[in-house]
Amino acid sequence: MRIFLRFAVTVAGLGIAVISSDAAGQKPSDPKADKKKPVAAATAPIDVKPIVAKLKSGDEAQIKEALDEARLAGPTGAAAAPAVAEVLTRGLSLPLTQSAVETLGDLESDTGSAALAQYALHRNAKVRRAAVKALTRTKGAAASGALKRALSDGDAVVRGTAASGLGALKAKDAVPDLFTALDHRVNEAAASIGQLCSAEQCEQLAGRLGKIPFDVVTGGLDQVLFRPTADVPDDAKVKIIGRIREQGTIEGNKFLRDVQKRAVAPAASARVRQALDQAVMATAGGAK
Amino acid sequence: MKTSFVALAALGFTLTACAGGDPMHPHTFSTDWLDDQGKSIAAVQTRLKSAPAGATADLVVAVAGEKNDKLIGAPLSGGSRWTFQHALDARPMIIGTIVLGSGQGEIFALDASNGRRLWARPTGGLALLGGGDDGTVTAVTLSRGTGSTILVIGRDGTVKRQIETDKQLGDPAVIGGVILVPWANQYVSAIDALTGDELGRVTLRDKVSRAEQIGGAVYFGEVSLVRFDEKIAMASQGGANRITLPSRELPGTPRLYAPGSEKLPAVANARDRDRLFARPSTPSGPLGIDSGRFYATYFRLVYGFESSRGQLAWVHTHASEIIGGEAVQGGVLLCDEDGKIVVLDARTGQVTRDYSFGEPIKSCVAQADTYKSLPPPGGGPSLAQQISEAVSNREATLATGQRLLLRELGTLEDESATKTLVDLTSDSRTAPVLVADARASLATRRNGTTFMLAALGKHYDFLRDVLASPPVGPIADALAAMKESKGASLLASHLLDPAITDDDVRRAAVALATLATKEELPMLLHFFTMYRGTAETEDIGLAVASAGEAILRLDPKEGRALIERAAKDPTTVAVARPRLEALLAATSTKPAEPKK
Repeated sequence: MRIFLRFAVTVAGLGIAVISSDAAGQKPSDPKADKKKPVAAATAPIDVKPIVAKLKSGDEAQIKEALDEARLAGPTGAAAAPAVAEVLTRGLSLPLTQSAVETLGDLESDTGSAALAQYALHRNAKVRRAAVKALTRTKGAAASGALKRALSDGDAVVRGTAASGLGALKAKDAVPDLFTALDHRVNEAAASIGQLCSAEQCEQLAGRLGKIPFDVVTGGLDQVLFRPTADVPDDAKVKIIGRIREQGTIEGNKFLRDVQKRAVAPAASARVRQALDQAVMATAGGAK
Repeated sequence: MKTSFVALAALGFTLTACAGGDPMHPHTFSTDWLDDQGKSIAAVQTRLKSAPAGATADLVVAVAGEKNDKLIGAPLSGGSRWTFQHALDARPMIIGTIVLGSGQGEIFALDASNGRRLWARPTGGLALLGGGDDGTVTAVTLSRGTGSTILVIGRDGTVKRQIETDKQLGDPAVIGGVILVPWANQYVSAIDALTGDELGRVTLRDKVSRAEQIGGAVYFGEVSLVRFDEKIAMASQGGANRITLPSRELPGTPRLYAPGSEKLPAVANARDRDRLFARPSTPSGPLGIDSGRFYATYFRLVYGFESSRGQLAWVHTHASEIIGGEAVQGGVLLCDEDGKIVVLDARTGQVTRDYSFGEPIKSCVAQADTYKSLPPPGGGPSLAQQISEAVSNREATLATGQRLLLRELGTLEDESATKTLVDLTSDSRTAPVLVADARASLATRRNGTTFMLAALGKHYDFLRDVLASPPVGPIADALAAMKESKGASLLASHLLDPAITDDDVRRAAVALATLATKEELPMLLHFFTMYRGTAETEDIGLAVASAGEAILRLDPKEGRALIERAAKDPTTVAVARPRLEALLAATSTKPAEPKK
């Protein structure tokens, strides 16, 4: 219920009014954020006035054109995000809604997050999937909240995307929810937990070994082992290696060997490398 | 017709009887008999009025054993259980103080009090249909496929008479040396057990295949019961003392009695799992149904109905499937496949006594002529609570019986009925057919608002294992009918929940059109704008229109502007646009243009 009231407050601001925001202060886009990066992504911000004008025309064809242009501009067209969010909030046809949601993702402006958060609850699962995916790129508090909520979605793809997105958003406060999601077979949560967990939480993740599929847990533990020591102390990493070693399985040995190959300085400390070496030796010829 | 006498039972020997030319005595099982307006049967009734009633045993007999070859007797008036081993090809029967069984080409009689064998007679494999006993002779009807045989057997096991006919006979009763045997579904003939003469006959208006001795009187019937008393002469004119069960919806197709012309299998079948039970009230005087109750069983459910109008009085959920029983004075005795026997109170359905066969059983028969169910000490749970327990059972076989109960539940004023309906519809384990019924009932509820609001406070939540949404649509209908605006914000929150059905969204929006307050306006706006162009179904399109109606009412100025824009916008879904236009027209404040 609470989430919907919060939603309502958001809507009260959006409702039939324009979302007031400008492009100033936009974070530079993360070049690794999306493999389908628009061509113009690396260039300077573009003039979005023609795009905005088309968006405000009320004409479906022009809106479509504007959305296409904005998508091509990518983060350099981030200044168009408020206008895209506005048309989205006023309501569009289903194809244009889908397009506008994806466009906001491509623009990577957190000014789009509030509108996207609404559409992350749309009845059409494709729209929800697109909105959740876009939120992982627009980031911001609204995005984090919406993604946490999306972990409880009825659609498995939405849940998985949200779990991955929370890792990308570095939403450390979401780790308890991610654990719950992991225990509900949202396997994507493991990697995000691995990216975000505290030492204690990382051990909790290692504690899932033997309870949920090995590959799923190690998908998260792999992330932990390569995090900086300042972020995850070596003690925690050694303990995790010890946990895998205790398993004494062939798959554990295979995983450790794979990590061992990649764990060269400075990615891993001498202590961690030593623990890995010993664990690999100890698990050679594992039980199964 | 011819008459003959046999001293021994040489089966296959054809014997029929005639009574000469006496108009008072019809030829035995003749079909040229003209209805004598009850004269002959009245004479028989007068003759038998003072005949001493044969003794009876209050007993339950079960078929048990891996090969269905074990009889267990459980006396109801104390005494220890007994067992008797014999192959069985038909359901045993208790007649008076004997237990009659059939199997391995013979019929046999056991002493009901201890299970000792009294006699056995070969049958040549004929099927046992029924039997009657007056303490002196036993009459047994056997089916020959195209006809029937009556064997009159003495206490020593000798066949006193064998009567064969090409008619289909039913289950007889014996009183004062006279066999009262139904046949051809419409007659009951009174046959002298010693001579084989037909002493009288009555035509009944109801289907008749059984003559049952219950509580000191004899009754004829199958679907209803006609008492063999001084009014029997008027039976063909419909003037006899008769009881019948009120017509009402029942689970399955239960029967009060199986046709007496039908051999019952030794092992209970599906027909034994939905049954009706009722007992005539008194052997003389005005005739009614004992305790004002009749009973129906449906697998594990037992229903107690009020006998005059058929209203449900109680329901008992049993631990295992009921496979037999008998109505007793003040209640109903039932046995289950686990070998338990329970007696339920007629008024409340509470268990007043329980017995056990000590092992699982395959079928059971009971005779409880003098047995009385004592009233339970307490009143027990309310009907709504009893129904709640019954419908909460997840066993798929009970669904039909539970549907009936849900309809009953919907008619109860008790607020807990609303809770049960809410719980059932919110539980993902409930059978779909029950969910549909419960939703329909819930929509018509006019109490239990607290339970409805509590249910609306929940949403689908995968991580918290809430895997079913509450019944938003039915609750919306009910709240709107009660004009209960407390539920408006909760309903509005569900508009934005993708987990509820389109139908629920539509009904929530319709309710909000009248219940919503300014507080719900932001959520209505959100819903309206999000779906006016993206509604994929008619239900959602209609919900958009209803949301528009609410917006227009709550914010006549800005809301109107929004609705006007949406009504003109070609991206607004086709279902919603004309409705929005109609709303605008209906609420227009523009003065009408003067007529030219």
